[in-house]
Amino acid sequence: MKRTIAIALCALLAAACASKAPTPTASADGGKKKFVVGYSQSNNAEPYRAQLNLQLQHFLERYPDIELLPIADAKQSSATQVSQVQNFITQKVDALIVSPTEPAPLTAAVQQACDAKIPVIILDRTVNTDCYTAFIGGDNVLIGRKAGEEAVKLLPDGGNIVELRGILSNQPQIDRDKGFREAIAANPKIKIIADREAKWVKEQATPIMQQWLAQHPKIDLVYGHNDPMALGAYLAAKAAGKAEQIKFIGIDGLAIPDGGIRAVQLGQLSATFIYPTGAQEAADTVNKILHGQPVDKQQVLGTTQVTKDNAADLYKQFDLSGQN
Amino acid sequence: MTLHADNRMRRTLSALGAAQAYIGLVLVLAVGIATKGEMFLSETNLTNAIGAFASRGILAVGVTLVILTGGIDLSVGSLLGIASMTAAMMLSEHALEPWQIVPICMAVGAFFGFLNGAGTAWLRIQSFVVTLAMLSVVRGLDRQVSDNVSVGTQITGPDGQLTPQAEAFQLFGTPGHNLFGRIYYPVLAFIVVCVVFHLILTKTRFGRHVYAVGGNPTAARLSGVNVTAVTIAVFTLSGMLAGFAGPIDAAYSASADPQAGQSFELDAIAAAVIGGASLAGGKGTIVGTFVGALILTLLDNVLGLNAVSDNWQLVIKGLIVVVAVVLQRPDLFTFFRGGSRS
Repeated sequence: MKRTIAIALCALLAAACASKAPTPTASADGGKKKFVVGYSQSNNAEPYRAQLNLQLQHFLERYPDIELLPIADAKQSSATQVSQVQNFITQKVDALIVSPTEPAPLTAAVQQACDAKIPVIILDRTVNTDCYTAFIGGDNVLIGRKAGEEAVKLLPDGGNIVELRGILSNQPQIDRDKGFREAIAANPKIKIIADREAKWVKEQATPIMQQWLAQHPKIDLVYGHNDPMALGAYLAAKAAGKAEQIKFIGIDGLAIPDGGIRAVQLGQLSATFIYPTGAQEAADTVNKILHGQPVDKQQVLGTTQVTKDNAADLYKQFDLSGQN
Repeated sequence: MTLHADNRMRRTLSALGAAQAYIGLVLVLAVGIATKGEMFLSETNLTNAIGAFASRGILAVGVTLVILTGGIDLSVGSLLGIASMTAAMMLSEHALEPWQIVPICMAVGAFFGFLNGAGTAWLRIQSFVVTLAMLSVVRGLDRQVSDNVSVGTQITGPDGQLTPQAEAFQLFGTPGHNLFGRIYYPVLAFIVVCVVFHLILTKTRFGRHVYAVGGNPTAARLSGVNVTAVTIAVFTLSGMLAGFAGPIDAAYSASADPQAGQSFELDAIAAAVIGGASLAGGKGTIVGTFVGALILTLLDNVLGLNAVSDNWQLVIKGLIVVVAVVLQRPDLFTFFRGGSRS
């Protein structure tokens, strides 16, 4: 009996949470039409995505007739994300932004939105259908290649590279690896002597780097698929007294106090490459779509290399703390 | 004759079960020495390996206490996460001294641990469910207070140098900062925690009560043990230890990540189980958990040094947990014998 009550309470709670989403479409402030936009983010917990959310909210404030619903966090689960997208479709949002966790599982949901005549902006990662209004995202192959070109520049006489990878099933990881390997092929004396998955986090990267330092007498460069992993490796090398002999390259270039731009400024990383969040472009594109203006279907964003010279300026440009 | 042989086999297996952790440790060491010799045995390598695991080892001690009473604590990873975030924020926003930060983090952990205990003892919800819920609640709070952005602990002053507080905070576990230049702080902390809780469990009345509650709660209650108080106490202690591990983890990564400690609870439980703790309660020791943690960390290190892929590492670690549990169950052996005879 007690158990039944408990289960019923849980179900009620779950239902309450699920139906809590705000009222859709035309709101009643002054009778003026307000557009409602839903956004399903693949995982709020990654600092990069948290920054994206912050920026998107910031840039959408420029358009007072657009209301962004509370950002739905899929917590890295494709199943969760599919149901979030379906929820937004049910709510009849005026536009939908999706940063897919994985391409394949989200394809059908995006198709559903498209069939329901809801314009969809795919942000950052792709889906396997053409039925969307716009794709906005960085080019990870390009960024990987730029990182590789920088590595070739940093190691003119060749050398040994170790590579810290993101989660192996993530497309950005695959692309950042691909571009990098293409670029370093320019110098056959450069070799990747070890690579491992460090799941995008510092905590995992440090012990892996410690093991590499024990195994390999000569490591010349660390390529981290993101800045936290590169910095985790830096911590390990610094502790072993080898940080001076090794170059570190990261990716992401977030303007947060312990992000990549600051690390370049402090000389911990030799370089990082800004992986643009696309938030500003997304906000502008949503606005255009809702007002019936044409938009580019494919908006591939470039990257900026962060060096000691431009780090301070870039930090200022992208720092949104205190603006919201 | 068969019965006799069975009994003997059973006794041998049972003895093997008690010694399994040590046998496992010896095996891992043997593989390490055989494949990587001096590289494996070097002081730096061993210190690094154990240091990387120390915060999970401390969680394992707390989890062992809970397991001894027949419960389980799935929330320790999240508790470590929020404690590490607390530590980083205390340091960056309030410039507190490390000696102030640690008690605060322990209090934060103990608070949520107390809630776990209260839910289990007073509301009589299974600890699996209470702590599973806590895992989610606390992770959510962690992400909320941090705005999903990692918080660095290497705070620099206007002169570009680390502030004195940040400098001192590094001693908790930033790689390369050792006590007396030799002893890596997290390793020391892990050992101290093990010694303290080993003594509590073996030398105090509270320790005997923990075993009594896990062995047979009804009997314990009838013989005057306050089962409710003991249950709440073990969860609170487990939370407190997770709070203690928080600053260590924050110092280790030089930042508190909103994802810090995710899935650490699984490593902690694995360490306890490999060390001989029984999820049925009443059976297990801190020494066993210590050895279990050593096995996991050294295994990780040996496989890493031999460049075994992460996928196979997961498979191997899982299999070892199963073997450890099977070895504790001599009855399984007779079950199969009985099955074949009928």
